[in-house]
Amino acid sequence: MIANIIKLGWKNIWRNTTRSAVVITAVLLGTWAGVFLSAFFTGMVQSYLDNQFKLTVPHIELTHPQFKDLYRPEYSIPGADTIISDLRQRSFVEKVSAQSLASGLAQSARNSYGVTIHGILPGRTHGVNTYLKEGTMPGNDQQNPVLVGSKLAERLGLEPDSRVVLNFQDAAGNITGGAFRVVGIFDSFSSVFDETNVFVTQSDLNQLMEVGDQVHRLSLTITDFSRANSYAQQLRTEFPNLRVTTWGEAAPELQYSFQMTDLMMYIVMVIIIIALVFSIINTMLMAVLERTRELGMLRAIGMNKTRVFAMVVWETVFLTMVGTPVGLFLSWLTISYFGHAGIDLGAFSEGLNAYGLGAVVYPGLPPGYYFNITLLIACAALLSALYPAWKTLQLNPVEAIRKIN
Amino acid sequence: MAVIETYGISKIYNPGKVPVPALNGVNLTIEKGEFTAIVGPSGSGKTTLLNIIGGLDKPTGGKAVIQGTELGGLSDRELVDFRLHHIGFVFQSYNLIPVLTAIENVSFVMQMQGRPAKEYHQKSMALLKEVGLEDKIHKRPSELSGGQQQRVAVARALASKPDFVLADEPTANLDSVSTADLLDMMLELNKIEDMTFVFSTHDQRVIERARRVVTLVDGKIDKDEIRAA
Ligand SMILES: Nc1ncnc2c1ncn2[C@@H]1O[C@H](COP(=O)(O)OP(=O)(O)O)[C@@H](O)[C@H]1O
Ligand SMILES: [Mg+2]
Repeated sequence: MIANIIKLGWKNIWRNTTRSAVVITAVLLGTWAGVFLSAFFTGMVQSYLDNQFKLTVPHIELTHPQFKDLYRPEYSIPGADTIISDLRQRSFVEKVSAQSLASGLAQSARNSYGVTIHGILPGRTHGVNTYLKEGTMPGNDQQNPVLVGSKLAERLGLEPDSRVVLNFQDAAGNITGGAFRVVGIFDSFSSVFDETNVFVTQSDLNQLMEVGDQVHRLSLTITDFSRANSYAQQLRTEFPNLRVTTWGEAAPELQYSFQMTDLMMYIVMVIIIIALVFSIINTMLMAVLERTRELGMLRAIGMNKTRVFAMVVWETVFLTMVGTPVGLFLSWLTISYFGHAGIDLGAFSEGLNAYGLGAVVYPGLPPGYYFNITLLIACAALLSALYPAWKTLQLNPVEAIRKIN
Repeated sequence: MAVIETYGISKIYNPGKVPVPALNGVNLTIEKGEFTAIVGPSGSGKTTLLNIIGGLDKPTGGKAVIQGTELGGLSDRELVDFRLHHIGFVFQSYNLIPVLTAIENVSFVMQMQGRPAKEYHQKSMALLKEVGLEDKIHKRPSELSGGQQQRVAVARALASKPDFVLADEPTANLDSVSTADLLDMMLELNKIEDMTFVFSTHDQRVIERARRVVTLVDGKIDKDEIRAA
């Protein structure tokens, strides 16, 4: 019998083809729009985070436990080479890079400014490459080359080939420094970063700091940044002499925006689903009320309340669930397509860039999302089915029959 | 055992507020195979009586017994089930499920009774043939005339193998030709299947063809005539 009731429910939704088609289309478009919007947001935040990870905060960094307090040059990482090759063995590690770092002062004839000085290995790509505006990256063939940010260049009145003096502490605690020549200017999405970071070669920096070939920071790019915490935990037990910091700890505001998108995605979906639930309830109430006499007749001839209830529930579920898979499939198609092709927000790119957002957004969704959304819509369908179905229980067959005769 | 027995049935609507007496001590016994018309002026209580006999409504006083079962002793759930298995209904209109074909409509009650697919399929075919609609089995109600729809309703009423068929004004919406046809068919089924029919009407041509005519006036049985076949 249940099969017959399901069949009857299915046929019933096609009584008023236009009305059902409208609801089914609404569900389809709602699902599609909601899921695609979520993917778009996710892609946008992803690009924002990726940019941040490339330039300002690594997924996970390893430092001497006290280094980050004062940036003292002697707090370097002992046996860095061994650690690096050890880290590279791990499946969750995508990339490891090592930097020596110093905190110091950049001075020109005009002004002076506090900066973080990065000692990088020439030839290795670094996140800042992408933002090179003028000139080149510091190379070994140049004399004390330095790459500065556009904002700092502006403040200090620097241009390519200008000289700038960098002062910082050496390993013995004495103030040291040297004259550097600007070989390039970078311009990233973050003016704060541009103002407070300069890049020199590792050999130049280490020589002045008198730290040999020591490095101060190992930056890890991992396969799944959202699992940084558990990987960091693992590294902490294996390298008890180092401080392991995740991106979320180093930049809580990034962690926050990451969690916000997750939440936002579901909020967008919930809002759309609530709107759908109301239109479904409304449609089903109409469908039930205009069928009072027929439902009364069915009860009279021996269809019990449970069966009438089930029939209306199935009708609602069909009304909802016909559009959902199609909507999800269309979302999947469009997300897959744009996930590769990208959506070019060229017109807004300048504004977006200022916030660390790429001009091209690649929509994407976390793996569990489709499942969660399907579950959410199924619950909504069931929920919106209950009220109209419950309405049929109130129906008094005698009164309904009276209307017949 | 009589198919239908009522003992002093009375019905008062709105007992709390403005009481409307509809039936007042109706004693009626209908035996298997009878073909009975309940007649009387509008408002005389025909529908009320049929609803009580059909287990759709409860009397204020007295009792209705169908094939030995006292309806007052059944819970609401049991009553629905009782209607499904013991009583065939034909209403004035809205008898059929519009989205189902004639054969599906007839099968529906048997599906609810939990009978196997093969059985209800054959039985539905046979019944539709009996009511003269073998060429219309896959038509939906909207594709059938009013008279044809009522025939499907009669076939559906018989499908559940009921103790009797209850029809409240089954011909009220039909023209005279269809009315005569439906009556012919009901009489035929009454004869061949020995099916008991109880129906209300105020159509003189229908009354003329009944074998027993029970006349209600003001909720009481005024006359009860049995005619020769
Ligand atoms: N639900 C109801 N509430 C109040 N009075 C009713 C109701 N149903 C029927 N009646 C009254 O009961 C009486 C009998 O009605 P009914 O059984 O429909 O008569 P008939 O079918 O012979 O026309 C009428 O006076 C009618 O107005
Ligand atoms: Mg009536």
